[in-house]
Amino acid sequence: MTTTILSIKNKEGRIQKIAPYALLLPSLIVLGFFMFWPFLYTIYLSFFDWNMVSTTKEFVGFENYIDVLKDPVTWKVMGNTMLYIVLLLAVNFVVPYIFAYVVEFVLQRMKGFYKSAFFLPAFISLVVGSILFTWILNPVSGPVAIIAGWFNITIPIWSKLDGWVIVVITLITSWKIWGYHFILLFASISGISKEVIEAARLDNIPLWRIFFRIVVPMSSSTGIYVFIITIVQGLQFAFTPIKVITQGGPNYASSNVIYQAFHEAFVLYRTGHSAALSTITMIIFIFLLIVEFKFVERRIYYENK
Amino acid sequence: MKINKRWEIPWHIIFFIFILVLLYPIFYALGFSLKSLQDAYNSPLSIIPKNITFENFNQLFTSLPALKITWNTFVIASVVTIFKIITSFLAAYAFVYFIFKGKNVIYFFLISTIFLPFTITMIPNYLIISSLGLADSVWGVILPQLADAMGIFLLTQAMRSIPVSLIEVARLDNMEHWRIMKDIVLPLVRPAVTSTSIWFFIMAWNEYVWPVLILKTVDNYTLPLALQMYISSEGGTNFTVAMAVSVITMIIPLTLYLTFQKYIIGTFVSSGIK
Amino acid sequence: MKKVYSLMFLLLLVTGLAACTGEKEESSSEAATNSEGKTVIEYWHVNAETQGGKTVEELVSSFNEQSETVEVVAKYNPDMYKGLMQNLQAEAAAGTSPAVVQVGWAFLDYFSNTFEYTEPQTIIDQHFPDDKTFLTDNFLPNILDLAVNNEGKQVGIPYSLSTPVLYLNKDLLREAGLDENGPKTWEELKTFAEAVKEKTGKYGLYIQEPADNWATQALLESNGAQMITNGKATFASEEGIQAYSLWADLVASKSALHIGWDQGVQSFIDGNVAMLYTTIAQRSNVQNNAKFDVATVKSPAWEGKQVKLPAGGAMLAITAKGEEQQKAAWEFMKYLYSVESIAKWTEGTGYVPPREGVADAENGLKQFLEENEMMQAAIDQMDVVVPWTSFPGDAGLQAEQMLIDMRDQVLSGSITVEEGLKQTQEQINSLLQ
Repeated sequence: MTTTILSIKNKEGRIQKIAPYALLLPSLIVLGFFMFWPFLYTIYLSFFDWNMVSTTKEFVGFENYIDVLKDPVTWKVMGNTMLYIVLLLAVNFVVPYIFAYVVEFVLQRMKGFYKSAFFLPAFISLVVGSILFTWILNPVSGPVAIIAGWFNITIPIWSKLDGWVIVVITLITSWKIWGYHFILLFASISGISKEVIEAARLDNIPLWRIFFRIVVPMSSSTGIYVFIITIVQGLQFAFTPIKVITQGGPNYASSNVIYQAFHEAFVLYRTGHSAALSTITMIIFIFLLIVEFKFVERRIYYENK
Repeated sequence: MKINKRWEIPWHIIFFIFILVLLYPIFYALGFSLKSLQDAYNSPLSIIPKNITFENFNQLFTSLPALKITWNTFVIASVVTIFKIITSFLAAYAFVYFIFKGKNVIYFFLISTIFLPFTITMIPNYLIISSLGLADSVWGVILPQLADAMGIFLLTQAMRSIPVSLIEVARLDNMEHWRIMKDIVLPLVRPAVTSTSIWFFIMAWNEYVWPVLILKTVDNYTLPLALQMYISSEGGTNFTVAMAVSVITMIIPLTLYLTFQKYIIGTFVSSGIK
Repeated sequence: MKKVYSLMFLLLLVTGLAACTGEKEESSSEAATNSEGKTVIEYWHVNAETQGGKTVEELVSSFNEQSETVEVVAKYNPDMYKGLMQNLQAEAAAGTSPAVVQVGWAFLDYFSNTFEYTEPQTIIDQHFPDDKTFLTDNFLPNILDLAVNNEGKQVGIPYSLSTPVLYLNKDLLREAGLDENGPKTWEELKTFAEAVKEKTGKYGLYIQEPADNWATQALLESNGAQMITNGKATFASEEGIQAYSLWADLVASKSALHIGWDQGVQSFIDGNVAMLYTTIAQRSNVQNNAKFDVATVKSPAWEGKQVKLPAGGAMLAITAKGEEQQKAAWEFMKYLYSVESIAKWTEGTGYVPPREGVADAENGLKQFLEENEMMQAAIDQMDVVVPWTSFPGDAGLQAEQMLIDMRDQVLSGSITVEEGLKQTQEQINSLLQ
């Protein structure tokens, strides 16, 4: 027992060095095999003309990239993607932020009920959601159209109209993911010390200022997370209603980058094009991630600072 | 406190309307799962069926091994959720409480996988699963989903909120890492763990793109695949049976959620710990 | 509370693991041959429950019962032939393949250019001398030709056949003071649709708009246009533009509905559209769910012209590798093409029988056709069936997509019919070179 202190220290030191890698190992293995490798493979494929099956793979250099960037459809889809992002953020970031704040600090009753009710649609898959909304929002004979008809309002045939189609698909997508974002933000906001808020209230500071001055900064670590998943997950979730309802149409008006990559790869079987488009998308996203790391991360409020 | 009163009523009204819109499709699905398809087409407005029929459920259970399918779905969703949480928890712990070489680079690369669309991973992953001989098996569906960068990100964010001093004190007491994880960190990040688990579970429970590729025999099916069997553009979608499938699909995670709800919401409140 | 949490965790873990080990045992029994020594082959189909999924199951299990050498495993592929192609692509990339697959007509060229397959006659000649004349004995030459690709190869054997028919809401037609037996020509159909709009305020017509150009082809080619001539797109002829204009005009005047397929059919079934132009495969859906007086009539003709209808549906192709698998594949296919099996298949799917001697045979469909009059229109027009245009070459699917994109542009009025057709034709031709 006399030498223990030293030996523990040595042992500890070694553990201290190996431990983090050991802890990361499971994630690294799984993500390495099932995420990194496919990604590297995709980059590799973006330099070839291939359809995944045929035995000949033709090296074409940057031709796929040039084709993709020259294709007007790509730019249309990029524009759509921007619109999706703006709408998704409005519905799934701004609204739940405000609602979470209201439920926690403005309301005194029914809090539990709201929390459960808001989360309910999350349990339903988007495939079901898409079929359901195809019926409910049928502009000719769905219940919404019938009710609107009583007031002499005609529902536009949204699935065939530019702009409208993105709005509706965003709403269907949001219907499912909204509640989760609410719960995340609510958990974070309810962690803010009550005393600070009460003190502000006693000083007669208006609610909206409390929200911007105190609540948003103090919940920013969750806020930034919800911001990012709204964009990234939101675009991926929108894939399902696009596929079920419009297949990207009319004339690509509802397609976003995720759907378009799928369309190129699995409908037209232009693997190289799809890979190039995916790679371009990844470069944009990773650029945003670097921006987040470099600039936003520093300003985020962590309680342990 | 007086400021509140003025705002409370309008907000309650807004929330009620909002909830009505949110829940309408769910009641629609419930009502239509108890209608005949003919009724569904001809009375799109009324949610409550005039003649309640269990024919849709009957058809589902006679034409598919529905219990086995539900079980498969449950196994996949549970195993995926548990593993994702464990691997994410371990990784997040490493990122927050250790200083090591390449930390930022590894973190950056792991997190960047959040951005990878499934269109990239689908075929290469299928090649791996197929070469392992796991095609058409529940394990084939599970394997690529044992870790998730979203979980790492969320739990890292959560752990960063824990005062470092707590951990330092524990380390000075020669507390071992696994005990720090279990007794200090886990209780403090439990709200994040809970909400992430629920979300992972729901995601895995409803997933269809990947299982469609992997699973072949009906006995290995999951519920979202069973749903696909009632959707057809050419023959017409059997809307009411599809709704019956979705009611079953919805009911199990919902029951789990409601059973543990008191507890789950409790964890959110307990995050007030400073 | 903490206990509940850890308990739940533990419970999930244990049940999960228990189930998974169970799973492993089951799946290990599946190999190229099963425990009884039968050759196991995979059959890939697209038949959802509403489209004969049950029948596939019945046919497969009755085959498995009677066969001593072969066991078939059926795999359902969601999202129709496109979905099946996607799954087949992944399978081929992994170096494996099912034995028998359903290939949609629009994929005839893509499939035969891309995947390894064996012509059925080759396998018959090698292993089944008794069946040497099976194909020529039982199929009409124009039907067999549907499965011949641009290189003249018999890629597979026609299995599911459908044609577009005109469904009528007789009640609505009567309400509008029109002949309840419906229009015979497209010109007549136009006045019908406009009358319905004017008299009832409801839509006169909906032409199906899925992600293909099947109905468009029927409309155009019946007017004498050609989708493709000698490997070049030629649909922007005078006849083609005239035919397309009829549709676009009806949409512009709101007499015809321009909407997705699901919602269009839904609106017909609940009585908001008077005439529906879509596949006979929708028959049971319409017949079982419409509450009004419903009927089908043959696809309309253009005044004084010959109707030409592209065949919808699929063929069965053999992708089996290795002698054992290929032999098993043919054994299974032969079973599927027997009169009894085809009769069952027709009843379950609502497709038209591809082979002879089924429609009127006692052990075939006689009774079924008497009970389901709405099938008759499709059977009666089988003599005017032509192949569904499958654009040749690697860019074929892209050409098909351009026509779909054009449809939305023209029908939404963002481009004139003439401009749209000519522009798209040019683009397709420069692509196919």
